[in-house]
Amino acid sequence: MPTPLPQAAVVGVGTTRYGVLSEYDAYDLGQWALKQALDEAGLTPADIDGLILSRVPDYQRFAELGRLDPHYTLTTPGHGRFAGICIQTAVAVLQAGLARTVAVVYGNNGRSAGDRYGGDTDSYGSGGAGMWFPYGMTSPGAFHALMFQRHQARYGTRVEQLAHIPMAFRYHASLNPAAVMRQTFDLDGYLAARYICEPLRLLDYCLINDGGVALILTLADRAADLPQKPVYIDAMAQRAQFSDSSFPPDDFWHGAMASAAQATFAQTDLRREDMDALMVYDNFSPTVLFSLEGFGYCQPGEGGAFIEGGRLRLDGDLPTNTSGGHLSESYMQGWALNVEAVRQIRGQCEQRQVAGAQHVHYMAAAPVMTSLIYSGQRRTS
Amino acid sequence: MNDYAKPLPQIDPRQAPFWQGLRERQILLPTCSDCAKARFPATRFCGYCWSEAMQWVPVAGGATLQAYATFHKAYWAGFAADVPYQVIQVRLDAGVSLFSNRVGPWSPRVQLGARLKPYFDDVTPSVTLLKFSVDEAQP
Repeated sequence: MPTPLPQAAVVGVGTTRYGVLSEYDAYDLGQWALKQALDEAGLTPADIDGLILSRVPDYQRFAELGRLDPHYTLTTPGHGRFAGICIQTAVAVLQAGLARTVAVVYGNNGRSAGDRYGGDTDSYGSGGAGMWFPYGMTSPGAFHALMFQRHQARYGTRVEQLAHIPMAFRYHASLNPAAVMRQTFDLDGYLAARYICEPLRLLDYCLINDGGVALILTLADRAADLPQKPVYIDAMAQRAQFSDSSFPPDDFWHGAMASAAQATFAQTDLRREDMDALMVYDNFSPTVLFSLEGFGYCQPGEGGAFIEGGRLRLDGDLPTNTSGGHLSESYMQGWALNVEAVRQIRGQCEQRQVAGAQHVHYMAAAPVMTSLIYSGQRRTS
Repeated sequence: MNDYAKPLPQIDPRQAPFWQGLRERQILLPTCSDCAKARFPATRFCGYCWSEAMQWVPVAGGATLQAYATFHKAYWAGFAADVPYQVIQVRLDAGVSLFSNRVGPWSPRVQLGARLKPYFDDVTPSVTLLKFSVDEAQP
């Protein structure tokens, strides 16, 4: 047997307020979140020797502002799929010995900067979306509307089933004082929401708001000496599906997700039934449906029936996005969901706490699938 | 036709033969001279075999419907009068995917996988868009 790689753990997390924060730019939001993460981790900026950024425009400027001189630096585009990628890279950097304490930092001032996700500035889909503007095709929302329409046609999935996703997440947000949207709605309220790109309605779309998120990771041995209860990275995997990715995939990314799930669960004794909560990337509500199918929590095509009856609610079998997710808490592109996983395992979620949560699976479906299992228990082997 | 208010394609030299073909009621696809696979849009190298040898080859334009969605929001002023309008995802028999619009009747019985045929829409004196209608001749 090869020697297992040393395990990594999250030892600090930080989140800004969410909403319209027009006096803060993306650097400020990242630094605000990192300051909070350092404080609770009992660390100082000088302890940061690995720095991984997303959506913050310039790594050099960010590091200069906080007088950081790390041994390892990486910057990544502000695409949601990079939340999982950055955290996985932090683990790899720690395991390789390139750094001892890695900060992963995300800053998003898109709301105040007036970012638009459709129209002339839309670059979703290999950056080549402009080719389809003459036909009126634009926006990631429309891309997912096409996917869900295809899912409906192939499997008979109904919007009344899909509605359970935004309804459950809004209920969770109602229990989360940090969430931007906290007013709950029922099925009638969902059906009364206006269409943006049919079959998707406004309530199927993520929010657009400002905010920042940071996580600090170190190896498990060192984590034991720090003040927060360590939350260990138990298993992780990544699979890309870039071929033909300008168009919605025929298989809803099921094949690549199944491969990522298989690789994830091959690394751990934990099984899906051991998960106390799920954090599922929810740029649009159908993505959650596709993810539950692809990562094996139900069979492909059965997602609609699976989520009926409130299974994803805090009081259901499989509490999912207990913060409210992108649909209701904050548009932090996967980052805040990873923080929520950590806080659930620490037992810090108050009204929305899953009792005794020890294992949480984060998953994201996009042209890059990412999968991370967080655990309150350190592996013994 | 000068008051056409919708976005027009940015026609660069690499893609120009496709757009010229549409003017002439032809669908020309960039096709690998080595492995014979079609691709769209034109790229320097074939994505399948990475050959640089390419030629423009006419195809009949038969296609199948992959998905459709209905826009209720106009992201450009030029589409404001059209909402709600439909965008379709189609796959040409030659193997490449496109986003487009449908023209003509569209009954509720139109299913995914429905056969489509091309429709050449001369939106300006110099630009023709490739749209599709249901091919009633084929099930």
